[in-house]
Amino acid sequence: MAAARAVCVVVMMLCGASASASLAAQPPQPQDEFKPVGNNPAPEQIPAAPLLIGAYIVVLGGLFFYVLSLSRRLGAVQQDVQRLEGELKRRGRG
Amino acid sequence: MPKWFTPAAILCGLMFVVSPVLIARAPDESAMGMVYKIYYYHMPSAWMFLLAPLVCGVSSALFLVRGLAKDDRRAWAAAELTVLFGALTLITGPLWARRAWGTWWVWDARLTSSLVGWMIGWAYLILRRYGGPGSDKLAAGVALFGAVNVPFIFISVNYWRTIHPPTTVVPKLPVSMGVPLWFCVTAFLLLFVLLMTMRLRLEQTRTRLDALYVALDE
Repeated sequence: MAAARAVCVVVMMLCGASASASLAAQPPQPQDEFKPVGNNPAPEQIPAAPLLIGAYIVVLGGLFFYVLSLSRRLGAVQQDVQRLEGELKRRGRG
Repeated sequence: MPKWFTPAAILCGLMFVVSPVLIARAPDESAMGMVYKIYYYHMPSAWMFLLAPLVCGVSSALFLVRGLAKDDRRAWAAAELTVLFGALTLITGPLWARRAWGTWWVWDARLTSSLVGWMIGWAYLILRRYGGPGSDKLAAGVALFGAVNVPFIFISVNYWRTIHPPTTVVPKLPVSMGVPLWFCVTAFLLLFVLLMTMRLRLEQTRTRLDALYVALDE
């Protein structure tokens, strides 16, 4: 009887622990609205500035390098086209 | 390049110069603080990331039906922009989430379907690059899956449990937050059109180059 009671207590403790663990693992609720900050903003736990600056550097840097790569590829292909057109003209004359 | 390209490129450049000023003047968000301002570049990037696979998918469907090379070229250009804007979205999102949610990534419907959409873009480009003859039609088939994934990405936040904000936050934005957002959306949309034009020009020039090589061989 005492053993059964002990087992019950252990099972209840395990259930409680897993329930509290799963509650702790719950993600925060999603925001369904963005509101401007009031007069007393909450203190920040994770510094926002490096993340914010990093995000803008990634976007602007990524776009800049893509435009650069596109311009270089386009320039190279256009050069080849001009070279081949010149060669075709020369052959046409010959 | 078309006549409108240079004025549009200047306008787009000016908009990207002005946008940080508007963003800096916008208020912080009450729960997330300053990091919320990542939204002003994250959301327009994400919208272009949804627009690009739609353009790619529709162009691929047209290519499969009509077999015209211009549809194939448009699809290829849009696939590259899918990968570009997908990368920007998938990098800026976790930077925002780290502060807002306390974690870089969660495997919810929105983030996972976005990652899948980005990988479909890569699959298209890899097929075109290494697929050999006939890869244009195979890639077009892949692009259809990419386009079908877009509505799923868009509605995922409204239908499945997630900590990602739903699509309804946009119409509820106050003017002080909405003005910089729509300004950035316009700048990104203009940039998208410019990049598509440049990328299409590259494909047209490559086609011309192939024709010249053939003419030289004959």
